[in-house]
Amino acid sequence: MTARAASDERAVPARAVTPSYWSRIWTENGPGYLFLLPWFIGFFGLTIAPILSSLYLSFTNFDMLTAPQWVGMDNYVRMFTHDPKFSQSMRVTLLFVAFSVPLKLSFALGVALLLNRGMKGLPIYRAVFYLPSLLGASVAIAVLWRTLFAGDGLVNKGLAVFGIVGPAWISNPRFSLWTLIALAVWQFGSPMIIFLAGLRQIPQDLYEAASLDGANKWRIFWKVTLPLLTPVVFFNAIIQTIEGFKSFTPAFIISGGTGNPVNSTLFYTLYLYQEAFSFFRMGYASALAWVLLAIVAVFTGVSFLTSRFWVHYDS
Amino acid sequence: MTINIDRRKFLMGSTALAAAGAMGGLSPAQAADVHLRLYWWGGQARADRTNAVSDLYAKANPGFTYDKEFNAFNDYWPKLGTQVAGGNAPDVFQMDYRYIVEYANRGAVQALDDFVGKSLNLDDFDKDQIEGGKVGGKLYAISLGANSVALMVNTNAFQAAGVDLPTRDWSYDDYKANAEKLSSKGGMKILADGSGNEPALENWLRQRGKALYTADGKIGWTADDLIEWFKMWADLRAAGVCVGPDDQALDATAAIDTTMITLGKAATTYANSNQLIGFQAVNKNTLTMINFPRAKAGAGGGHYRKPSQFWSVNPKSALVEEAVKYVSFFVNDVPSGLVLGVERGIPCAKHVRDALAPTLSAPDQLSLNFVSNLGDLLGALPPSPPAAAGEVSTQLTTKSQEVAFGQSSPEDAGAAFAKEAQDILDRAAKKS
Repeated sequence: MTARAASDERAVPARAVTPSYWSRIWTENGPGYLFLLPWFIGFFGLTIAPILSSLYLSFTNFDMLTAPQWVGMDNYVRMFTHDPKFSQSMRVTLLFVAFSVPLKLSFALGVALLLNRGMKGLPIYRAVFYLPSLLGASVAIAVLWRTLFAGDGLVNKGLAVFGIVGPAWISNPRFSLWTLIALAVWQFGSPMIIFLAGLRQIPQDLYEAASLDGANKWRIFWKVTLPLLTPVVFFNAIIQTIEGFKSFTPAFIISGGTGNPVNSTLFYTLYLYQEAFSFFRMGYASALAWVLLAIVAVFTGVSFLTSRFWVHYDS
Repeated sequence: MTINIDRRKFLMGSTALAAAGAMGGLSPAQAADVHLRLYWWGGQARADRTNAVSDLYAKANPGFTYDKEFNAFNDYWPKLGTQVAGGNAPDVFQMDYRYIVEYANRGAVQALDDFVGKSLNLDDFDKDQIEGGKVGGKLYAISLGANSVALMVNTNAFQAAGVDLPTRDWSYDDYKANAEKLSSKGGMKILADGSGNEPALENWLRQRGKALYTADGKIGWTADDLIEWFKMWADLRAAGVCVGPDDQALDATAAIDTTMITLGKAATTYANSNQLIGFQAVNKNTLTMINFPRAKAGAGGGHYRKPSQFWSVNPKSALVEEAVKYVSFFVNDVPSGLVLGVERGIPCAKHVRDALAPTLSAPDQLSLNFVSNLGDLLGALPPSPPAAAGEVSTQLTTKSQEVAFGQSSPEDAGAAFAKEAQDILDRAAKKS
């Protein structure tokens, strides 16, 4: 410590206050930084460094076996001009996000409203509804889903009771993506918990005033609950959109890592994974990753920009 | 076991002694200290057998120790690639026919020609299996067993329907002729949908005098061949000879437990001869195997004895010589051969095969006989496929599904696939 202070003193002899300033900072915060050191090492070594090297690799043709060669913008150019699988994976992912996020949020809000009516055993219901979210990204659930929706799985057996012949949900390109969307919607637990917390924040006197004025439940929901809940809706929408773009495990497990049938479940992340680990085009896969980052950033940015027109902050 | 020092062990022992002598004052144990890292893909059964061989080698070579690691096939390649890139690849690692060109071209596997006849004994090693380990005339990998494509057959399904088991003479037309009778009992189809199965396509092309790839890594077929292929399958599909697309798509990765035969959708399935044991393990019905269907009556030459997998040596290893010795022991030592059985395919050294044959169980015998007696079905070993072959194979599956689900006609799909396959090869060629 003293050595550090001394060297600083030598470096800037003209300013007499500097050494005491630095040594004061160090005395106050030094031990704190020291304790943070393991985190810093992890953050820079395991997060920042790989991110930066992936940016570099996205301009190369790195294949893991030979040293990367600089190819400039080639990877990015190819992606947007000469890669049908890229556009297909983008289409699949956008469809997935466009349907799964609103459906999931409406479902979560609906259940949160039901649970907010102060029923008995609420903590149990809350836990039960939250459970799928905890399990959701796991391999086990994807395998379970695969079994449930297989041609002769439980879902079709249930439909058969009503005389309906169900399709092959996961192995028919017309239904496979919808099966994955259903899986995502089923994992509504975490936005539900957040909605529930948001509903608790809404002051009761507003509801009282509204009902005194003769507003029915429907009107109260649209005029009181929803506007006051918009910050939470906004938060959930952003988090779930990002989650949607990042979704990988269900498609990977259910399609056996192929994105088939006929590339109908070729999520963007799955395509990225194939390029990296099936075809060893690490450079191209890195470029795909950065494009995904840009897309998610644009979506989030646009959400923030438009938020002031519809998000109501009550303060 | 009685003490049985054969020529090789004796030679190895004396090499170790000679090395010890050369090191002067060191004791033999220290001088022979060798630590090899081994890496392969496969399941627990393979690991147990491989470790047993390493232990036998350690017994014959005091001071030998080893690290081992194994992975599933799909996880194996990313990890090996990462290690090669990082300059810390294992000393000895398994290699596949599909990847050998790529690894050899990039100097990631050791050329072994200089060791042959010295530390690498290939005296009675099958010639076609040696050829299979060569790239550009140089030997880069030692085959650990020969296998061939084969059709797994559910014998119970055929018996229940009163259909004779398929014979080696059956063509696709024969399967078609028997399809209705077989399906009448239980609704099982006689064939899986092989239109997206690369080995099935290759077998069919070879019977027509074509190939998947030429010796210089170009496409060995034309759009017309593929159109005819997709048409044949569209016809078989429409006639109920093979399973429907909804069922076939369940088999996303050709893993044994999702194949049509295991799921009970078809009475036969496209596979490899060394997989009979694996298939039987998860199938209640009694299985046998037969060759892939003939393209037409009397057509042959579709099959070949493929090196099922290889050992390769890391050229950057500090112990190349020792690694080669281990590989030589692995494929030549008789007790090791008995431990390994036919799990990696039929052993390539004749003396090992001869010692092994009488000890095999019935399914293993079947496997050995199948690969040894292909007769007119056997054609020449095709050249090792170009680097991007795996991606072409993936694309074939997607394309075949487009036709099966009616999104594309055989004509469009055949023409489009020819173009896509060419694009994939061009892209890979530009890279190297």
